[in-house]
Amino acid sequence: MLKKTLMGATVLAGALSAAAFADTSDKRIALSNNYAGNSWRQAMLASWDKVTSAAVADGVVAEAPAFTTAENQVTEQAAQIQNMILEGYDAIVINAASPDALNGAVKQACDAGIVVVSFDGIVTEPCAYRIAVDFKAMGKLEVDYLATRMDGGNLLEIRGLAGVFVDDEISAGIHEGVAEHSGFKIVGSVHGDWAQDVAQKAVAGILPSLPEVAGVVTQGGDGYGAAQAFAAAGRPTPLIVMGNRYDELQWWKEQKDANGYETISVSIAPGVSTLAFWVAQMVLDGKDVPQDLTVPFLKITQDTLEESLAGTQPGGVANVEYSLEDAMAVVSGN
Amino acid sequence: MTLIKQLSAKAWIWSFIGMVLVWLVTAIYTGGKGSADVITAALSFATFTVIVGIGQMFVITTGPGNVDLSIPSTISLSGAVAMKIMGGSDAMLIVGFLASLGCGLAVGMFNYMLIRVLRIPPIIATLSSSFLILSTAIAYGRGLKIKPPPLLADFTTAQVSGVPVLAVVIILFAVVMSVVLNRTLYGRAVLAIGQNMRAAWLAGINVERIRFMTYVLSAVLAAICGFLLSGFSGGASLNMGQEYLLASIAVVVIGGTSVAGGKANIPGIWGAAMFMFLLVTMLNTFGASAGIRLIMTGLIIVAVITIAGGDEPQR
Repeated sequence: MLKKTLMGATVLAGALSAAAFADTSDKRIALSNNYAGNSWRQAMLASWDKVTSAAVADGVVAEAPAFTTAENQVTEQAAQIQNMILEGYDAIVINAASPDALNGAVKQACDAGIVVVSFDGIVTEPCAYRIAVDFKAMGKLEVDYLATRMDGGNLLEIRGLAGVFVDDEISAGIHEGVAEHSGFKIVGSVHGDWAQDVAQKAVAGILPSLPEVAGVVTQGGDGYGAAQAFAAAGRPTPLIVMGNRYDELQWWKEQKDANGYETISVSIAPGVSTLAFWVAQMVLDGKDVPQDLTVPFLKITQDTLEESLAGTQPGGVANVEYSLEDAMAVVSGN
Repeated sequence: MTLIKQLSAKAWIWSFIGMVLVWLVTAIYTGGKGSADVITAALSFATFTVIVGIGQMFVITTGPGNVDLSIPSTISLSGAVAMKIMGGSDAMLIVGFLASLGCGLAVGMFNYMLIRVLRIPPIIATLSSSFLILSTAIAYGRGLKIKPPPLLADFTTAQVSGVPVLAVVIILFAVVMSVVLNRTLYGRAVLAIGQNMRAAWLAGINVERIRFMTYVLSAVLAAICGFLLSGFSGGASLNMGQEYLLASIAVVVIGGTSVAGGKANIPGIWGAAMFMFLLVTMLNTFGASAGIRLIMTGLIIVAVITIAGGDEPQR
């Protein structure tokens, strides 16, 4: 309390000198999120809450509440954004249910002078800022890694949720990688919906009909399920690329300790929501931010496994939260 | 001849025919490679669909408009609560199971309260309660992934010469529930209510008590499914129940139970659950793209229901 009062006093006293600091202190930033039903989204919301409540306490912004739609429906999220416009937020950060179906609502927000920043599930409306992930490069990276470990072999591909843009992109990257490294061949492909139980079920079904599998390329959230399906079928464990989930890292650690199992793990840190928050703050602050940004993915290797596992909450996803300085580095690096 | 005639009069036979056909086609395609293992996998996974399918069947049988949409969230809640309470310790197994049952009881009673006291139609009541239940699971578990006690994990994944032990248990359970449906007062009352609620009431059946028991039964079975499933797949997750919403209804309908209520059977649920798993496996084996796979799944389900539903014309 005392600290807050003191800080308020400092701000008042040095209003001019603390310009960069105080410019956005009366601004309100809202998060519009379309889905919260998995561990990645839960971690994303937790990171948002942690970083923004610190920012609010420090007087960087006035408030930064998060809103999640119940049904993961485009119409619902569009209505939610319209409500935010009416409530007069200065910036809206969006994880969108659809890349184009929200464009109408986003345009309305821009026309009302609101800064719109989309991340993860980005929107194509030109007036919005986009923090995109190069999912295609992520898929290709998996095959490139496999090529460093073996000359070739049969691959099983576990895809995500059918019909979602991210799934198509990662898969395209994987296929590009396979085309480049001709020793590899995809012998089976199933949809694991980024959930370990769905992946386990799908892999268990197709496995009996497959020849020996040397590697499994995944999209995250499905590696542990795949490992369990191989074990249940009594087949040798192939090289499974992991996706930064706690259960995947824990399984990898157990295997590493038991038999020196080696792989990589790659995914997007849920803390990207905090990068989006800082980008919105920077735009409100009048800083020059490019309309399209790319976030680096979080890669875990054999050497960083222990460290990453220790820093990951049970049930969570390996995470990186951004500070204003980190966000500035990402922005200037583009 | 009479045997064939008798069998084809059974609504459930079609799901079994579908199951065998799909399996044969897969076996021919792969040249017989791994065909036995596919059956093992199908038995393992169908088990969970059957557990919730039986509960859903009783609910649907009580008549038009009755359906339980809170099954997926009940699975998630029960799994999360049980895993957290047990904390991976065998000693807490019973406590965890009881907690799981408690979740089911609470959900079932809550659903019925919404339907009866607040007079909300079952579809809306169970849908809205599912939001509450899932939110509870999220708040309680925070997506926590705790490993199941080794004893539970071993039990749910155990196999004796290719036959999953859990599947055998649930087959026996299905036999018991079949007797309950066809030979007990409760089962007959469920069928009677489904055929005509007013007639059943006039005949002296305590309609509301039977409906209450049915919604509780469905929720408790969903809770048991959540408990076993989290043992089987190495822990509970928030979205673990998701795919059981449509699956639980699909297996009931494909299995030959009337959506209009009043006509039900248990064997068909097993046939349908196996059929659904093998169907997806077949299309995966063919390497069909996701679009084709979904279209084929839809068409084949429609075909099976049409053939199975081609029974006695309405008088």
